[in-house]
Amino acid sequence: MELLVLNGLVNGLIVGGVYALIGLSLTLLYGVLRIVNFAHGEFVIGGSFLAYVLFSSLGLAPLLALPVAAITFFAAGWLAYYVLIPRLARSDDPEIMSFLMMYGLSLALAAVMLLMFEADSRSIDYAFTPISMKVGPIYVSTARIVAFGVTIVISAALAWFLYRTLPGKALRATIMNREAIQIVGVDVEKLSAFAFALATGIAGVTGVLIALVFPAFNAFSGAEYSIIGFIVVVLGGLGNPVGALIAGVIYGLAEQLATVFLPQALAQIVGFGILVGTILIRPTGILGWRVQR
Amino acid sequence: MELEGNAAAPRAAERDSARRIYFTLAAIIGGLVSVYFVLVPVFGLNLAFHFYLMLWITMASAFNVASGFSGYMPFGYVAFYGVGAFTTAILVQKLGFPVLAALPFSGIAGVVLGLLFAPTLRLSGIYFAIVSLALASICRLIITNMPEEITGGSFGLQLGSRAEPVLSFYVMMLVMLLALGTILWLSRSRLGKALRAVRDDAEAADMMGVNVVRVRLYGWLIAAFFPALCGGIEAWYTNVVDTETAFNTLTTAKTVIYAVAGGLGTVTGPIVGAIGMVWLDELIWRQFPRVNLLILGIATIALVLFLPRGIVGTLLRRRPQWRRYIP
Amino acid sequence: MTVTTTTAIEVHELHKHFGGLVALDGIELEARAGEVLGIIGVNGAGKTTLMNCICGIYRADRGRVSIGGRDMTGLSPHEIAHAGVGRTFQVPRVFRKMSLIDNLLVPVLDRAEPDRALIERAEAMLEQMRLIELRHNFAEELSGGQQKLLEMARMLMPEPRVVMLDEPFAGVHPTLCRFMIERIEAIAAGGKTVLLISHDLTSIYRLSHRVAALNQGRVIAEGSVDEIRGNPAVVEAYLGA
Repeated sequence: MELLVLNGLVNGLIVGGVYALIGLSLTLLYGVLRIVNFAHGEFVIGGSFLAYVLFSSLGLAPLLALPVAAITFFAAGWLAYYVLIPRLARSDDPEIMSFLMMYGLSLALAAVMLLMFEADSRSIDYAFTPISMKVGPIYVSTARIVAFGVTIVISAALAWFLYRTLPGKALRATIMNREAIQIVGVDVEKLSAFAFALATGIAGVTGVLIALVFPAFNAFSGAEYSIIGFIVVVLGGLGNPVGALIAGVIYGLAEQLATVFLPQALAQIVGFGILVGTILIRPTGILGWRVQR
Repeated sequence: MELEGNAAAPRAAERDSARRIYFTLAAIIGGLVSVYFVLVPVFGLNLAFHFYLMLWITMASAFNVASGFSGYMPFGYVAFYGVGAFTTAILVQKLGFPVLAALPFSGIAGVVLGLLFAPTLRLSGIYFAIVSLALASICRLIITNMPEEITGGSFGLQLGSRAEPVLSFYVMMLVMLLALGTILWLSRSRLGKALRAVRDDAEAADMMGVNVVRVRLYGWLIAAFFPALCGGIEAWYTNVVDTETAFNTLTTAKTVIYAVAGGLGTVTGPIVGAIGMVWLDELIWRQFPRVNLLILGIATIALVLFLPRGIVGTLLRRRPQWRRYIP
Repeated sequence: MTVTTTTAIEVHELHKHFGGLVALDGIELEARAGEVLGIIGVNGAGKTTLMNCICGIYRADRGRVSIGGRDMTGLSPHEIAHAGVGRTFQVPRVFRKMSLIDNLLVPVLDRAEPDRALIERAEAMLEQMRLIELRHNFAEELSGGQQKLLEMARMLMPEPRVVMLDEPFAGVHPTLCRFMIERIEAIAAGGKTVLLISHDLTSIYRLSHRVAALNQGRVIAEGSVDEIRGNPAVVEAYLGA
């Protein structure tokens, strides 16, 4: 039993790291642009599929797929921003309209992936040497350890970017007060495009990591990851990057430990239950934001 | 005031004539719709197509109550539909109810679920949408994991050979007319005004004497009743119910898109949107069955970018003076 | 118009804080039935917070609010509205996507009067506010000043006994201001108790029977217009801030 729990803890950390990144990119998008990205899960799975394609057709190792995913998705995000977002801001009800648009985008992206890859589950059969490593008394797959390592590096890089560089600080300032930052002379449009591109890029990279951490994925997996993203973001507080990181790890731990003690389906219900409960009972998440109408 | 008596009378006359035009238009539309659908089986037109057309008109219209009139975006709307479907199926198959007796219970089940979800009504836009989605997933998971004896597990329930296409078609028509009538009433009623005030500024409405919590609840329960009924009737029509189809997120997606395409906040909007989009869907599906989902997604994006107020909404924006005459 | 000696509004030891910020620090205030009580003070003195506490949006931490002798503490906003309290807002909060007539109908939706009668009353009110031609327009199509007039009309529809006006002249064109002053004088002449917050001291002095000056969440002076005008504490609060 202790081994199972230990397993749960270690995997919880690894899975939590991935969830944290999903939450981080989602919360960045919301914080800067006030957009709830219902298509975020599809962005992430798109990254997974990209890694899959690179591996199966070019034999590219997943680790090398990371920079490709980062660049491709960053560029795609930049483009998508200018095509989709500016009209939104001018509409009657930008909040609701952004839900709908991202919802449509999630349908469209899922459909594209469905057409390209059918409904079958895919996975990347990349074999690390050794296949697994011993961490204390338990064995953990090397792929997962590598993914965790990458997660740490990316999180650290993002943290450094957000808190130590000027564009990063500008992003954080925009999250806090979008109007004020324009007065100070920052080109909000470009900053927003950058934020969108950055969030998309992180999502794509996270997708590659998902291919390493989880056994398989398919065109419909996007929806699950979107929901996980929401749970993490709500727990951490909408627009709060640090909150998302913490909440992601906590949620990952909770999820993996729950599967040790509970049947699979029940664990899923617990996940959603945590989401609903948090919003209703402790609406500010870990580090607050106004929730009521 | 000197002019009051003189000006009030022509104003009252003008008001009455506007009212008459409004209800005449409503009667014409309602009449056309009724006659058309009544004749569908008589002339042997595609029963399935028209059944679902009526279903989507009803779903989009009821959804409009929650979104256009009340200001919510319940992305978990399918929960009511699914619960309604299973209620009818269980009552008919497990307890031997006649279908017509089971259907009202579906409606009641929807209302009960609405009451259960009522605490979420105080949440703001994003949080409400997300929680709604999560609650629908929870409903689906709970039903999927209930014992097979009750809900049929992953195979679902068969209603036995009680399918009566023509009768269920006409029942669907009655429900659609009931929904449209309710929304027509709502749009002119005091509750409707209160709802819209709460939608525009809940705090201000509160300070103007509106019981915000109660008003929101009434609107929500109306919006919960009809999709549940739809779920029950569709279960009867197709003769089978399972969690995948009963709680399909695509049901919410289509409802939302059809309602938005027509225009939220008006009575005719969802009707126009549903008819337009269902025709589009049928056309595309015949030619390109595989890209159905893709077209739906792109259509949504295009709608938001180019026609955010929907067809009727955009029309009324261009001609605001018509607002009083168009239901 | 006679100012009676009965108390219409009584605020007793009202405290309200937001986190570390103390907005109301023990407010003691009284408005007699039928009088116009002007409330002045610099920004942040607590004027709007006071109004929000009286009408129920904020729940005071300590203290009591009574209207017409009846304890209102802890009641919800719509209950207080039903007790005969109406208000306007510093930044107009009209129902944007509803017609002017519908805006006016919202406060009287629960009345037993038939729709026709209510609509006619609403139209009469709009006529008084010179908005009758726009009665079918959506409220969001009005200018800021027009929206303030709409708010005033909306406030008056349920015939409240107590009326609270939060900065009615803020950002309003001078001509419209004069019209608004006339309207407020008419309201006061009708025997209603009026609480009037404004930075426009000229208008306050012209309209009010008595004035209360607030500073840092407390009433620093209260009395007739002349008493307040010359009050050194008030002058210092305004200039020294």
